[in-house]
Order: sequence, then structure tokens, then C-alpha cells
Amino acid sequence: MNVHTYEKIWLVAAMVLIVAFIATITYGSVGLGIAMVGDQQPTIEPTELGDDERFGEPRVEQVGENEYEAYVVAQTFSYQPDPIEVPEDSQVTFYVTARDVIHSFSIAGTNVNTMAIPGEIAEMTVEFDEAGEYGIVCNEYCGPDHHNMEGKLHVVSADEFDLTDLSADGPDEVAVGDSVDVDVVVENRQLEDLETTVTLEIGDETVSEEVTVPGGDAVETTLSVDSSALGEGDHDWTVTVDDHDSSGSVTVLEELDDDADGGEDDE
Amino acid sequence: MSQATEESASEPSAETIREIGHDEYDPVGTFALIGLYFLILVFLWFFMYFVEFLGNDPTVVSGTAVVVALV
Amino acid sequence: MSNVYIDQFPAEAKVIRAAFYSSFLALALGGVFGIIQTLHRTDFLRFMDSVDYYTVLTAHGVFLVISFTIFFLVGIFTWAVTTSLDRGLEDIRFTWGWYSLMAIGITMTGVAILAGFTDAIDMSASVLFTFYAPLQAHPLFYLGLVLFVVGTWVAGVDWFRSWWAWKAENPDERIPLPTFMVLTTMLMWYIATLGVAAAILLFLLPWSLGLIETVNPLLTRTLFWFFGHPVVYFWLMPAYMMWYVMLPKFSGGKLFSDPLARVVFVLFLILSVPTGIHHQYLDPGIAEGFKFIAMTNTMFLLLPSLLTAFTVVASMEHGARQRGGEGYFGWLKALPWRDPVFTGMALAGLMFAAAGFSGMINAGMNINYLVHNTFWVVGHFHLTVGTAVALTFMAVTYWFLPQVTGKALWSRSVALGQVVVWFVGMTFMSNAMHRAGLLGVPRRTAEPQYEGFEFQAAVGSIGELDAQIALGGVLLTISLGMFFANVVGTALNGRSDDLPANEYAGALSGPDDAPLVLDNLKLWTAIAVVLVIFAYTFPLLSIIDRGGLFGPEVIPFPLTVESATTLGFALETAASTSFESAGEIATSALTAVMR
Ligand code: HEM
Ligand SMILES: [Cu+2]
Ligand SMILES: [Cu+2]
Repeated sequence: MNVHTYEKIWLVAAMVLIVAFIATITYGSVGLGIAMVGDQQPTIEPTELGDDERFGEPRVEQVGENEYEAYVVAQTFSYQPDPIEVPEDSQVTFYVTARDVIHSFSIAGTNVNTMAIPGEIAEMTVEFDEAGEYGIVCNEYCGPDHHNMEGKLHVVSADEFDLTDLSADGPDEVAVGDSVDVDVVVENRQLEDLETTVTLEIGDETVSEEVTVPGGDAVETTLSVDSSALGEGDHDWTVTVDDHDSSGSVTVLEELDDDADGGEDDE
Repeated sequence: MSQATEESASEPSAETIREIGHDEYDPVGTFALIGLYFLILVFLWFFMYFVEFLGNDPTVVSGTAVVVALV
Repeated sequence: MSNVYIDQFPAEAKVIRAAFYSSFLALALGGVFGIIQTLHRTDFLRFMDSVDYYTVLTAHGVFLVISFTIFFLVGIFTWAVTTSLDRGLEDIRFTWGWYSLMAIGITMTGVAILAGFTDAIDMSASVLFTFYAPLQAHPLFYLGLVLFVVGTWVAGVDWFRSWWAWKAENPDERIPLPTFMVLTTMLMWYIATLGVAAAILLFLLPWSLGLIETVNPLLTRTLFWFFGHPVVYFWLMPAYMMWYVMLPKFSGGKLFSDPLARVVFVLFLILSVPTGIHHQYLDPGIAEGFKFIAMTNTMFLLLPSLLTAFTVVASMEHGARQRGGEGYFGWLKALPWRDPVFTGMALAGLMFAAAGFSGMINAGMNINYLVHNTFWVVGHFHLTVGTAVALTFMAVTYWFLPQVTGKALWSRSVALGQVVVWFVGMTFMSNAMHRAGLLGVPRRTAEPQYEGFEFQAAVGSIGELDAQIALGGVLLTISLGMFFANVVGTALNGRSDDLPANEYAGALSGPDDAPLVLDNLKLWTAIAVVLVIFAYTFPLLSIIDRGGLFGPEVIPFPLTVESATTLGFALETAASTSFESAGEIATSALTAVMR
């Protein structure tokens, strides 16, 4: 077989090119630490996501000083949670699975991109250095409304960020003279303790209380206002903790016919 | 009939003004073109990898491993 | 008696004509859907509901890359075998048999897809040409695909029969190059289609019929890509064949090297299949190591294409120099640029060089995060299958159609205009698609305009890119119109006595220079099989081991048939347990061996 010299040179050049490509990719993996979505995670039953510790309640959780985990469910035709909120200067590991068909979880304008396959969990660790807003698109066809499947990722500044959950619960009706007791639960899913103030505003009355919520824990407290100060009628109330609020309303009656409870509202 | 072998060649078309055999033919033009193609490929590859790709961060990194600043 | 193909092989010419016309019908339909979706996506013209977009896209994909390409290539493969062996097919009824299987199959699939446009029929198959489960199509869709593929298998048998018969009469001769190319391509195809056959016959079809309740989405997806990568070589290898055996002739020269052409086809046979996982770089559930192996194989698969680039250009240069061309680049001017067949193929080749670049990016494992499932990918394959293959096929039609009809081409200048307009249109469309992809614009999306955010372009804007895509699409549609004008015009022409002879190019370095081992098809097939086993055993076992043969419980989507029979369920449980244990035993045995 006689191969022309030029063609031999080209053959060698082509091999060099191929090896150089493989070397670049290897450098990316080994030198720069770029990891592929792989098989690190166990499989999961897509129909039982509701009972799963991680995906039952899709959310962001703090796991280390600047480390967070985000459990994301892709489903026709949305993402949970939405928006996803993480702080700047953090390292976030996304765990993404699909509830029904194959989707993708792709943060537009970045290299964060994975397929979301029912039964499988994609794991991706990403560093966010700066605050910003990103769109999330599904780039795998998943059904008739595929083009409306989008989500948002907010990378917020450190002081804006928290993982606080607030819920408050008060009575529907109280008799004049009784106190209006609003039960408040403040949950802190960050690792550090949260020192903050819980404030209840109702009518012209304001009461507040300093609380310290230990990391990964919750505190319960009750804020009370004397209903005589409010007078008869309907009164809206709002409980605030930092940027979070929760509200409800109470009716102050001359006399209580039967006891009722409710007027509960979560943030 | 149909197989244009070495001898019968494809009918030397009207435009053929000379026959060039195997030993007298050096594809210098091809060599030049393909060399150019090679250079373009190398340039575009590095451009795509180091500018378009690494410049499009954040990128997926390996968990807790050492964090090497991506360009 | 003339030496035009239709006079040499009238019966075969008829089959080839039928295959060509089937192919062109698919091209016409696909083209119409192409422009509809282009204008819809870019928001220049939206006359249908966005839900129907996905039916249009399914039809575009299936009609173009399954029916258009494959019907055309069975036509030219039939031509290649009969012409280069200089003998008719063994039994023309057999030939019509496989043609009919293909035609019936694709009609069934087509009906299932198009029924998605109307609510009157309770049938749909808007699952795109990749039909990833748990998206579920009507059983007719899968059944049609099976028949179609079986048709191509039988076609391969037909060509092998010719070769066996010829070998019996010519025991000492080298396999003529075109036949060699057909046979290696078909061997590759047999191996490749095992994946899709398994996906459909074992899982998707029974599932769509309600015989089994669930499937493992990652498993059927992996089996699809086992087939999905090599299928691109099934489109490409016939185009390569045209570049090797026809282009040198139209350039006025000879093929630079017959032995290297054989090497290239052998490399395709052995390397095409063990690479499919490169479509799954971003799939959870497949280990990074398997992805790396797939990448290495893929990168080496660049070799035959890079070699082809040299050989084909050198053959063109040979023609140019015989026609008086001089200098390092001056010879380019001596090429027959007024000949639509030549120009079409040359432009297709040029676009393929560009496609080679974007393909290299696609092949890279971690850089895939940047481009995976973005519009970049669509830009890439409109250069490969949409131009390197499609434009080559259209260009050679201007030579083949007269050969198989005995009628002169209706208009050479329209033909020349057609190939140039295609090239220009595709330059606009594909370039803008690539750029949009880099901004993160997704593929397969009816309205890639989102409420919550916008794609940020560093240079230009999304509006500008959309305009280029739409302009390119319109030019491509015009080009298709010119093509069909020529096909119809030619078909309406009367018989001509003044057609060129049916010949293909000779070679400067002929088959005698090729080592005999190159013709040892059994050896290459064996190597190909071993490589496939190497590349796929572990990933498949691991997927089955993780997710089960029939996967987790998934809800078929959309529901087209009421499912769930007790029998199906019993079968499933029995089968999955036995397969799983078999899988485990095999895995542990293999790991033991590896240690
Ligand atoms: C008139 C010419 C054509 C136009 C205007 C056109 C346009 C398009 C557009 C805009 C898409 C992207 C749709 C999306 O991802 O949302 C697309 C997809 C596609 N096109 Fe074309 N195309 C043309 C010709 C071709 C040809 C000749 C082929 C192949 C032989 C082809 C094969 C494909 C395939 C396989 C897809 C992907 C389908 C999928 O994602 O499921 N196209 N086309
Ligand atoms: Cu989706
Ligand atoms: Cu591929």
C-alpha cells in the first residue's frame, strides 16, 4: 500500500489533533476540576418523590460554612423550588430529578446543564461568586407545554440571604377583653444561629420580641395583644421577621358564640 | 462496461488537456489547503474551550475537591 | 444499446426510481415542516398552536433523517452494487419485497405522526425522532419503524447475495470499491440497529401495547443512542461514497487512493457504534469513566473523516490539474464550477469541513455542558446530515435521475442555482443557530422566548440571530422548490439518447495496492463486535443494575392506549428479577476478572 508522503504527514497531524483534543478535555477534568454528571447518586422512585427526605420538600439547605445543597424536582412544566435562592460566594450542590418524563435543568448563560431523568438523580456542584439572576430552561422536549417550562435562580448578596421560615397562627375570633395570642414559629435552616426580632402588628398595636434561633432549629413563641386596645371589629395582623412576613385577621366580638380557631396564614 | 478502471478512466472529458499519472502527481494544493484547515481547527478549538467554555462560568466542579479558579 | 444505467439494468432502475421518488416525497414534506417551524420558533409567523409545533418537529425529523436519507441511499447502494459488480440483482421480486417493507413501514409511522394534527383520530406520536420514554407514541409509530428497519436489513441481504454470487464467479478478484463500501456500511448498520431493535421490540412496543407496565427511561435512551450515533454514519457513508467514486470523475480526475478509501470505510465499520454514549455526557446514572471511554472512541472516529478530507480534495486537485490548473491555490479555478453535480458536492464537502469543527466540540466531554441540547447542536447537524448528506444527494440526483429515467435533466442552470442557494441559505441558518446555542437558546422549543429572563448576546442580538435563521430557512425552502421543479421537469421530459455513460471514477492508486486483509469483512466485523461489547457491556449492566430492566414506576406520557394486563405485569416481574440477577452475576464476575 503506497501512501503519499503528504498524506502520511496529514495522518500524523490528524492523530496529533485527536490526542490534543483528548488532552485538553483531560486537563479540564483533572487540572481545573470540572466534573461530569455521573452515577454518584442512588436511583429513586419517581412516583414516590413525595415521601423522599430530600425531594419530598424541594428546597435549599445549608450543609457547611459556605456550602449549600439544592434539591430540585423537574416536572411537566415547572421546577420546584422556584425561584431557587442561594447566597453569593457559595458552593451549591444541585440534586436534580424528574417526576414524570425526561427534562433538563439548564441555567441559561452558564455551563450548568444536566438531563433530569425519572428514576435518576443528577448531582452538580457549582460555585457562585457574584450575586445575579439567572433563568433556568428545560432544553429537552417534555410534552405540549415544554416551551413554558422555566425557572429562576437568584444568587443574592450574603446579607440578603437567609433560610428562615416563618409561620404564624392566630385565633379567628376573640371576645373583647381577651388577649389575641398569635403563635409564631421561626425556623432557621442555616447553620449559624439567627438573632432577630419577631414583630406583631395589629391595628395600632405593635409588640416585639428578641429571639435567637439556633442553626438548623426552630423556636416557637407567642405574641399577645389585649383585644380591648383594638376594639370591636375586624383587625388584620402581620408578623414580621427580617424580610419575611405572615398575616391573618381576627374579629373582636362583644361576646363569643362558639370558639373557633384558624386565621392562619403562612408566608 | 461501467467500471472505469485505470486504463479506461472516466472518459477523458473534453476539458482534459493532459493526463497526470500516479507518480507524477503531488497534491501540493491539497496539502496547502489541509494545512490551513489544520490551523483553523487548532485555533477554533482553543478559542472555544478556553474562551467560550471556560468564560461561560459557573461550571460544574467536583464537589469538595480543591477549588481551582476557573478563568 | 446505450450504456446508460436504465438500459443496462432496466428492472433495477425501476426500483431505484421508486426509492428516489419515495425519498423526494419525504424531502418535500420535511421541507414544508422545516420552514413552518423555523418561522414559528423565530416568531416571524405563528399560524398554529405551539402544541402542534412538536408534531411538526417530529415529522420534520423522521421524514428527513429516516425516510429521505435512507430511501435515497438504498437507491444509490443498489446502483453501486449492480454497476460495480456488473450484474443485476439476484431476484428482483426480493428487491421489491424490501422496498415494500420500507414503504409500508414508513407510511405507518408517518400516519401515526400526522394523526397528531387532528383530534378526530385518537392517535399521536409527537415524541420526536428520538422517542425518549416515558413519552409514549401510538404503537403504530414503533411498529412502522420496525418494518422500515427490517426492510433495510433485507436490502442488505440482497446486496450481499449479489456479492456472494459474483465472488463465486470471480474468486480471485478484489471487491470493487463501491460494493466494498456498500457491504461495510451495511455491516455497520446491522450492528447499530440492534440497539434500536432491542429498545423497540423488548420495551417500547410492548409498553405502548400495554403488555408491560413500565420501562427504564435511561436504558431505552441508551439503547437509542447505541443506534443514534452510528445512524449518522449510515447517512454519511453513502455521501462519502459519492465523494470517493463520483466526485473525482466530475472533477475530471481520478480517485487519489483506493486503498485509503477502504481503510476509511473499515474504520467507520469498527468505530461508529462504540461511541453513542457521547450523546449522554450529561445523563445522570452513567459513570464519568464510561463517558470518557466514549469520548476517546469518538475522537478517533474523526480520523476516517480527516483522511477523507485529504483524499477527496486530492482527487479534485488531480482533476483540476489535468484540466490545466496550476499553482498552490490557482488550480481551484480550473474545477468545473458550472457543473451542478460537481459544485453541489464540493459545497457540501466544504460545509462538512465546518461541521467537522462543531462536531469536535460536541465530542468533547466536559465542553458538552456549554452546548448540550442547545441550538448549537441543530446548527451542527444541519451542516452534516442537512447539507453534507442532503446537498450531496440532491447534487448527484442531477446525474442519477437521467441514468435511471433515461431522460435528460430539465435544467442545468436551475440545478446550479439550487445548490448555490442551499449553500448560502444554510450558511445563514446554521451559523446563527450555532451562535444562538452558545447563548443558551434551547433546541426543540416552540417559543424560546421566556417570561422571566432573556438570553444575553455579547455580539449582536437574539433578534438578529432569529432574522438570520428565518432568512436562511426561506432560502433553503426556495432551493428545495428549485430542486423539485427540476425533478418534475425531468420526469416529464421525453427519453433522451444523449446521456452520459454509467461510470464511476477510476483510481490513481488502485485496489491492487490495497493489502488483501482490507477485504476480510469477517475480521473487521468481529473487531467491531468486540469493541461494541467492550464499550457497552459495563454501562448497560450498570444501568440495569441500578434502575432495573423495566425501571421504576413511570407514567406513560401521553397516554394513548389503556395499559396494564396482569399477564404483562407477571412477565415483567419474572423477567426483571432474572435479568437483574444475571446482571449482578455478570458484573461481579467481570470485576473479579478485572482485578
Ligand atoms: C428547508 C430546509 C430546512 C429548514 C428550514 C430546517 C429547519 C429546522 C429547524 C429550525 C429545526 C429546529 C427545531 C427545534 O429544535 O426547535 C430543525 C430541526 C431538525 N432538522 Fe431541519 N431544516 C431543514 C432541512 C433539514 C434537512 C435537509 C435535514 C436532514 C436531512 C434536517 C434535519 C433536522 C433534524 C434531524 C432536526 C431535529 C429534530 C429534533 O430535534 O427532533 N433538516 N430543522
Ligand atoms: Cu421539561
Ligand atoms: Cu453522535
